[in-house]
Amino acid sequence: MEINQHARDVAVIGAGMIPFGRRDEDSLMDMLAYASLKAMDDAGLGDKSVDAVYVGNMGAGILQHQTGIASSLVDRLSLLPAAAETVENGPASGASAVKNGLLAVASGYYDYVLVVGGEKMREVTGWRATDFVATMTHPQAEYIYGVTLPGMAGMFTRLYMEKYGVTREHLITVALKNQEMGALNPYAHVEMALSREGIFDSPHAVVNNPPVADPLHLYDACPVSDGAAALVLCPLETARKLNKPPVLIAGFGQATDTQTLQERDDPTDLKAVTLAAQQAFEMAKLKPGDIHVAELHDAFTILEIAESEHVGFFKKGEGGKAALAGKTRFGGQIPINVSGGLKARGHPVGATGVAQVVDIVFQLRHELPKNRQVKNAENGLTVNFGGFGNNVLAFVLRRVEK
Amino acid sequence: MREIAIVAYKCTKCGRIHYPFHDRCLVCKGREFETIKPQGNARLLTFTRIYNLPWGFDQRYLTIGVAEFENGVRAMGQINVDEDFLLTSGMAMKASWEPVRIQAGENVYGLVYSPES
Repeated sequence: MEINQHARDVAVIGAGMIPFGRRDEDSLMDMLAYASLKAMDDAGLGDKSVDAVYVGNMGAGILQHQTGIASSLVDRLSLLPAAAETVENGPASGASAVKNGLLAVASGYYDYVLVVGGEKMREVTGWRATDFVATMTHPQAEYIYGVTLPGMAGMFTRLYMEKYGVTREHLITVALKNQEMGALNPYAHVEMALSREGIFDSPHAVVNNPPVADPLHLYDACPVSDGAAALVLCPLETARKLNKPPVLIAGFGQATDTQTLQERDDPTDLKAVTLAAQQAFEMAKLKPGDIHVAELHDAFTILEIAESEHVGFFKKGEGGKAALAGKTRFGGQIPINVSGGLKARGHPVGATGVAQVVDIVFQLRHELPKNRQVKNAENGLTVNFGGFGNNVLAFVLRRVEK
Repeated sequence: MREIAIVAYKCTKCGRIHYPFHDRCLVCKGREFETIKPQGNARLLTFTRIYNLPWGFDQRYLTIGVAEFENGVRAMGQINVDEDFLLTSGMAMKASWEPVRIQAGENVYGLVYSPES
């Protein structure tokens, strides 16, 4: 997919997020405002405004009984009369908001755009939150049966195990890796490393790590989180004049697939992930092997393994083995989810796609502590996975030397 | 026993079977479909047992799977088995149309699979 030759290059000049977790003291609007201010301050905007605001949010209408989120946020931040829209695309709402910001600046219509993603999910019981997320399934063919997203992932995992030989050992490796990194990330929901004995091969594991949707267990799934993250975008040429190294949104891709897993010819084939990543790589004129750090949508451990194959880091069926061999660890061949990923950083659904870009921006600006900074990272990839793989967005980001 | 109320859609142009409904064929984009019913027994393609249930399900767990009928219709359904029953992919299932949840005090009917004995 060719981008219009007249389109402008777009850079990230501001990035910020608030710690994910259970934030009983903050409303959704508080969280969106805090993250926005951090990104605006990071961009050095001072008292300046932005031309437009895009807010990624999946469920305020259901969870907070509140709509018109973007209008409310521009008012709260005194960004009037900036244009403002809320973008809803399930768990990929965040990346869709980034996409809208990217296209708005690339087109030349706006110069400065604020992109925010946020969700407040812990306000309701787990019973309600699980139902809320399940509303993205097909109303008659899936939802009525009580299927949940962990349930969809459980069925997918069984198919993947049977076709490719993925084992619980592979899944556990991803869980341990991401929790280990999350323990180092002050923004993570679960800042806690896990022990293998605690969740896998000991009598304690039976209690600590029960099945949630077999063959997936509790620690194969991400937590339900509150949180927000934000970015400021502008044309690359403007960004070059600023102090911090600009991070170019070098590539973008998005693809959809059937709503129900059962209608895919091969339900283990995440075509939308493959297509989104291919588009992003083509636009960036890079290959999977050029990527130094990646944030993949590991709402469930199996997804990190499957996505690592579908974006082209590993051949089909090799992702689990690669994780087990340490290739996806910090310091490995391709470090994946150095932030802790959704698994440890958390998954406030509308925030995730923005937070992934924020984390890669931190990496590409070389701002992280040594125990999380991928040395000399220049190119990064994000994948935000909506529905059960029915709407996927990928970004390739590149550090630009001034 | 109630009749299974699912209707699937076979594209009259290319034969692709759809469930649920699409306005255009997923393969050839045709807009004309012959309605068909799931026929015969079904083969279990995949399944899971969910322990963290959504609002509306006040029970300890729920077993759910996707099965393919003899005429190619694929559909999700609840699976009626005890917790210790060993399900396997490929297992032959019989389908029935039974209450699968209660909404606003009314039974909602859907597919329920049981192992073919």
